[in-house]
Amino acid sequence: MKLPSLIATVTSVMLAGAAFAAEDPIRIGVPVGLSGANSVVAPSVVQSAELAVEEINAAGGVLGRPLELVIADDASGAAGAQKAFDSLVFQKEVDVLISMETSAARNAGLPIVSRGRVPYIYTSFYEGRSCNPYLFVDAWVPEQQVPPIVDYLNAEGAKKYFLIGSDYAFGRGMLDFARSYVESTGGEIVGEEYLPMDGTDWTAIISKLKASGAEAMITSTAGGAPNVTLTKQLRGAGVDLPYANLAVDEGTAKSMGADAAGILISASYVTGIDSAENKAFLDAMKAKFGDELRTPNDLSVPQYEAVYLYKAAVEKAGSTDAKAVLDVLPEVSFTGPRGTIQMSKQHHAPLTMYLGQVQEDGSVVVVETFKDVDPGEQCPKL
Amino acid sequence: MPDTLAASLPRNAAVRRRVLLLGLLALVALALVIFGPLVLSRFSINVLTRSMIYAILAITVDLLWGFTGILTFGQAAFFGVGAYATAMLLTHIGSSPSLMALALLLAILVPIVLGVIVGWLSFYYGSTPIYATVISLVFPIVVTQLIYSGGTLTGSSSGMVGYFGLPFGLEGFFRLSGISLVIVALGALIFVRSDSGRILTAIRDNETRCAYLGLNTQRIKILLTAVLAGVAGLAGFLYANASGVVAPENTSFVFGTELVVWTALGGRGTILGPVLGTIGIDYLSASLSGELPFLWQLVVGALFVVMIIFLPNGLAALVTRLTRRGRGEVVAGAGPELVPQPPRSHAAPSDAPLLSIDKLEKSYGSQKVLTDITLDVAPGELVSLVGPNGAGKTTMMRCLTDGKESSGGVVRIAGKSIAGMVPNQIVALGVGRKFQVASVFESLTVAECLRMSRAALEAPSIVTASDRLSLPPAAIEILQLTGLDKLLTAEVSLLSHGQKQSLELAMVVALEPRMILLDEPTAGLTKAERTTIGTILKKLTNELGFAAILVEHDLDFVRDISSRIVVLHQGRLVLDGSVEEVVNSDIVKTIYSGGDHV
Amino acid sequence: MTLLLDIVTTAAILFIVSAGLLAIFGVLEIVNFAHGAWLTVGAYCAVVTGGLGLNPWLALPLAFVAGAVLGGVTERLIVRPLYARPLDAILATWGLGIVIGQLITLWFGRDVQFTENLLSGTIHVLGISYSLYRIFALAAALVIGLGFAFLLEGTRLGLSARAIIMNEPLARALGLDTTRIRLFTFMIGTGLTALAGVLLTPLTSVDPTMGVSWLIGSFMLVMVAGSSFGALAIACLVFGGAQVLVSTFISPILGGITVAVLSALVLRISSKGFARA
Repeated sequence: MKLPSLIATVTSVMLAGAAFAAEDPIRIGVPVGLSGANSVVAPSVVQSAELAVEEINAAGGVLGRPLELVIADDASGAAGAQKAFDSLVFQKEVDVLISMETSAARNAGLPIVSRGRVPYIYTSFYEGRSCNPYLFVDAWVPEQQVPPIVDYLNAEGAKKYFLIGSDYAFGRGMLDFARSYVESTGGEIVGEEYLPMDGTDWTAIISKLKASGAEAMITSTAGGAPNVTLTKQLRGAGVDLPYANLAVDEGTAKSMGADAAGILISASYVTGIDSAENKAFLDAMKAKFGDELRTPNDLSVPQYEAVYLYKAAVEKAGSTDAKAVLDVLPEVSFTGPRGTIQMSKQHHAPLTMYLGQVQEDGSVVVVETFKDVDPGEQCPKL
Repeated sequence: MPDTLAASLPRNAAVRRRVLLLGLLALVALALVIFGPLVLSRFSINVLTRSMIYAILAITVDLLWGFTGILTFGQAAFFGVGAYATAMLLTHIGSSPSLMALALLLAILVPIVLGVIVGWLSFYYGSTPIYATVISLVFPIVVTQLIYSGGTLTGSSSGMVGYFGLPFGLEGFFRLSGISLVIVALGALIFVRSDSGRILTAIRDNETRCAYLGLNTQRIKILLTAVLAGVAGLAGFLYANASGVVAPENTSFVFGTELVVWTALGGRGTILGPVLGTIGIDYLSASLSGELPFLWQLVVGALFVVMIIFLPNGLAALVTRLTRRGRGEVVAGAGPELVPQPPRSHAAPSDAPLLSIDKLEKSYGSQKVLTDITLDVAPGELVSLVGPNGAGKTTMMRCLTDGKESSGGVVRIAGKSIAGMVPNQIVALGVGRKFQVASVFESLTVAECLRMSRAALEAPSIVTASDRLSLPPAAIEILQLTGLDKLLTAEVSLLSHGQKQSLELAMVVALEPRMILLDEPTAGLTKAERTTIGTILKKLTNELGFAAILVEHDLDFVRDISSRIVVLHQGRLVLDGSVEEVVNSDIVKTIYSGGDHV
Repeated sequence: MTLLLDIVTTAAILFIVSAGLLAIFGVLEIVNFAHGAWLTVGAYCAVVTGGLGLNPWLALPLAFVAGAVLGGVTERLIVRPLYARPLDAILATWGLGIVIGQLITLWFGRDVQFTENLLSGTIHVLGISYSLYRIFALAAALVIGLGFAFLLEGTRLGLSARAIIMNEPLARALGLDTTRIRLFTFMIGTGLTALAGVLLTPLTSVDPTMGVSWLIGSFMLVMVAGSSFGALAIACLVFGGAQVLVSTFISPILGGITVAVLSALVLRISSKGFARA
């Protein structure tokens, strides 16, 4: 954990804010899992938020006021999230919350958000259907992520699928959707197995997989460790089926080395996106963080864009008033590394999805691109 | 008795002062939680609401671990079950006042039922403390796994959110949690100082002795587990309402270990220590952990290790010890009034001998320790059991007080076979056992020890510490003869070796047994103390009709007081006769070859 | 056939992971709740070995030494004052586990670390292709088991350790330096645990909390096994087998709690567990 540098950058952001003299800063609360399961990805999320704030402040801030980040650890869980949200909403009195968190942390924070009446932009992909007047989401849901993968595998000739997941809301949510999508496109599920989140022994599941006659497998395991454990044990057992992983990010794939080669991933962001915005973003990140840079990923880039989306909304509303900002949030858009993002569909955003394949050296090559995939009916009541 | 009258006055004053102090403390605490929201920031109100609910849990951990010696990681699971019962009912069925009442009921009852099951698994005759800890680890793991697998029913890893709880605001929940905490803390403080509450400490100090005072310690521990599971469930109900969200981590054993950490840092066995420790640490971690998540856990972890090693009773205990030393004199002076108790009438004497042993055998594997022991003892007899070391004397005593010990033969007490009975059941038949090494309760006072002897006969109060102590006249006489009646409020750990022996004898006599078993009651005593004990034993058997079996090495002592002597050699009963017959027999002379100390 | 291999290799892995805990519990009657932390320390030794560009097999001796040295310090400072308070020893070592975990986090970061595989690929045994590494784990378990049998039966240290198990005051009266034997036993136990951490790296991810998920399982197995390595082997076979069977035929989720629940029930029925076997 590069804590000193993190604190240093937070301070530097604050110092930059000093240029605005007496103007009161707009405070952005970032509850994030600095410890616990999300702590692997959290630093990259913080970094991209810092870049966004620095860029915006350098360009004159928002309505003439500087932005200020207030970061709090949610320990990747409900209890920690309550503390973090309490602290941000009621102690630090932030104007908006922008964060990538676990579903448990998000759910624990929502009652506090409602009580404190603060806009909340959630920047993590998740299992979908979290609806709250204060909540907006700029990352993908199963309806956007799964179809590209299944369509691709179908086209490769796979008919029999085996599903493996960690036993938690995201794991089951993703695979439930995958099952229905596979079946609706004429495929067959020959097996569906789950292991507890902290489970480490996939032996029995792998034996079942080998005996099932599956032609492809789709996995949705929790975060870093289970992904690595499962992949290592799959490779150890000599499994070389087409392997789509709904929950692995580029960074984790890289740390698995050769074991990860061939894994298919579907994401709204991969570092290899060929656009001017992405190149500028990556260069700016490299320039700002140098050796400390955490590889930008599908969880950190939405965080970067969400800061800009909030900026656009405040400027359009003409104030940071929560009601006014919430009213215009669906209407504003921002063109960033992932393309043009607008949270226009029931507080969710249509996204361009990329199907990538992990190479021997851990890099991800884009195999196919799916334009503006619709999030579907997430919150019809909003 | 002018003596006791004089003694009772300062005691009443002391009691009144303590009640006053406790009442004052409660009032101050209530005022704090009721008026607190007026001055506290929203952040503090929010965090403290949760901290106070956790503090209720810490009290239950303290009662189990600090007072009773049961190290548990499972309180988090009972808490979680209470919270989930509430959240699931409100989510899936809906919320109305009557459903809310039902939720409250379920949040308490379901944990109680689970508490009985966990208690039954954890505590049985012969179970070890570490086994109870094992179960307390497995239980939350199973509960957490069930929640993860529960799908939409339990919300799996995302927890449950968006149900409608009690219609209180932030301040309302703060006050509700605060008042609940004050009530639970006050209840716990009153309970642990009551006569019943002292049983918990007695169990922690010396569970064997409790069993041999006729207390069913297993049942007490199961009951305690169940009740405290209910309290934890109540805390869960409060939490589910106040926070508006429940999550699997609320039930996890990691949270259970955190509760133990807070309790340890605050000071186990003090109730208030864990409360303050929990509120302090939880509040600090909410304020600090945003900045330094890993460092914070590192500091707490290191502090915890240091505390466990060097200050196992926490900071609060250090403070108590210092203050108690300051006013030690005052406490030692007062004590309960000793009240002679009319003798308990045992079931009508039957024709059967009081104790009848028939072909008793005991073997460890192929090695026989006792073979073919047959012996009858009648009321009024004082039978001495002699023999060299390793003859099987202590083993035989054990076989008479634990129905699971013998490997063969029958032991009957008042005509009833004790096969399969556990010690407290045998004590209920009228058997008292005094151990070789004085088996008393080190951290209780003399009076409290004696009250434990009566606990199985007359249920002690769960609210007050009585200022009267009813004991059979014989027990009072022992106290007076040995001077212990002047030391009723002294802590047992401060007594001399001889005083502890006498105290244990008084405790056994206070059970009003029909038969007492004594294992070397005079070992390590002075001549004067021996004479006193001898006088007492003679009186018990000759005048009061007790039967006594005495294991003793000191043959002079045996000769003076016995009505009959039984000689045990290599696990066999080789001689059974009057004092004269045995002392002059050749066998005894051979066994004690050299016979210097015969 | 695969099932059979799954059972014995699962049992072997469980045995490797719990052997160090048993060595400590069996002789010292202390439960080292920082067991998970030592597994993690061992795995990070593999990370360091890889980082230095050394042969991955060198991680095994390195981890043993690192684990033993760290264990020696721990025994001296934390465990020694607590031999008379076994429940407090559980708590103190749990606290130590937290501290070690956080130190590793501060040093290496939270990320999953990359380690080079010791062995990869599959092997044909009994007519099917099976993970080579799992077969190797079986061999490793046998080596550790036999090594311990030799250590206990054939060396002075083992003899002394057995003397302590049976009757410590007597052992001391006979002139054995029980303090030193306790220290060595603890060091061997922790060294072995760190070694097991290296052996786990091809099967699991390497991150600061990786050890915790192994802690409860090995703790339960050791409770059931008491102080005997033979009993531990049987316990691993029976409960590991049950875990595989439950995972295969009922549900892997239930399989995950099989060891803990079955061990608790066995202990409830017979408080000595398998120790008499």
